[in-house]
Amino acid sequence: MFDQTIIRVCLIVGSLLTAGFVLRRVRMAKVQIEDTIFWFGFSAALLILAIFPGIAYWAADLLGFMSPINFVYIVVIFLLLVKQFFMSIRLSQLDSKVRMLTEQVALNQEKLERDKLDL
Amino acid sequence: MSKLLIVIPAHNEEDNIVQVVENLTSQYPEYDYVVVNDGSRDKTAAICRAHGYRLIDLPINLGLAGAFQTGLRYAAENGYDCAMQMDADGQHKPEYIPAMLAALEEGNDIVIGSRFLTVKKPKTLRMLGSYIISWSIRLTTGRAICDPTSGMRMFNRAMVEEFAQNLNYGPEPDTISYLIKNGATVKEVQVEMGERMAGQSYLNLWNSAQYMIKMSISILLIQWFRKRDTETPYPERSL
Repeated sequence: MFDQTIIRVCLIVGSLLTAGFVLRRVRMAKVQIEDTIFWFGFSAALLILAIFPGIAYWAADLLGFMSPINFVYIVVIFLLLVKQFFMSIRLSQLDSKVRMLTEQVALNQEKLERDKLDL
Repeated sequence: MSKLLIVIPAHNEEDNIVQVVENLTSQYPEYDYVVVNDGSRDKTAAICRAHGYRLIDLPINLGLAGAFQTGLRYAAENGYDCAMQMDADGQHKPEYIPAMLAALEEGNDIVIGSRFLTVKKPKTLRMLGSYIISWSIRLTTGRAICDPTSGMRMFNRAMVEEFAQNLNYGPEPDTISYLIKNGATVKEVQVEMGERMAGQSYLNLWNSAQYMIKMSISILLIQWFRKRDTETPYPERSL
């Protein structure tokens, strides 16, 4: 029983810290709001699991886990994997955009220089 | 009269862009416009060049927020007094521009071309999102915005500069709610909108639901925490 209380407190603290940290970034205009939605969802999921441990007990029982905390781990791992997947796609898109932009800038520069020579 | 720039963000609008620009320039040659081609994969840019339209051609796709911000930066750098967004799909009719401009000149910061100011908003699934966003703005700002999702918005010089320079200033209802909370005056003007002339709207059920959830979370939870950077008024910064 004691263990569980500590874990629940850790989850609540972790969730509030996540939300607080992301909100600070929003306040400083250091992050786009659409990128924060995931983190608020993540923080809400942790908070719900911490406040209603019944959910973890029920799900662990349903899925045949040894301990309810394993369900919490699974949820966290799953959410982070999904995020990782989408970030990987985003990164790849950004990469190709930067390449396109660099090419464009260089081509524009070349055109400018050529025009100058023609004059 | 204020010098107005009409920003027309266009993404894959080869079927509509000519009619939209011709309709605007034939009726209201006194207003300046600029088409912002948002990295279209069709012939939008080529068509604009062939017709000699004023065009900003983005080499990659930035999305509506990026395309519109490009237009506003153009307005800020070229000394326009106000700017408005006009969709390239023919939904926004230029007939309403003078009324909106008049409302802006009364001293409002933002004027929204609203479909539902005097007309009752239909209670359909399509309008559910609009209802929820209206209600969110009402709840957090106390102001009634009848048509928050209308893309037909006009901004004065101070707003143009603020939108042009900052992060999280997309042309969306959450920015409007944030600005109302920070003392911006918003007025709606009744307009009528047409149906999209040709091509596909990206608004399917899934995208609409995503948009709605994003906007609601943003308006109800996140906008409270933003800090507005206005120590020096924006129009004075670049002088």
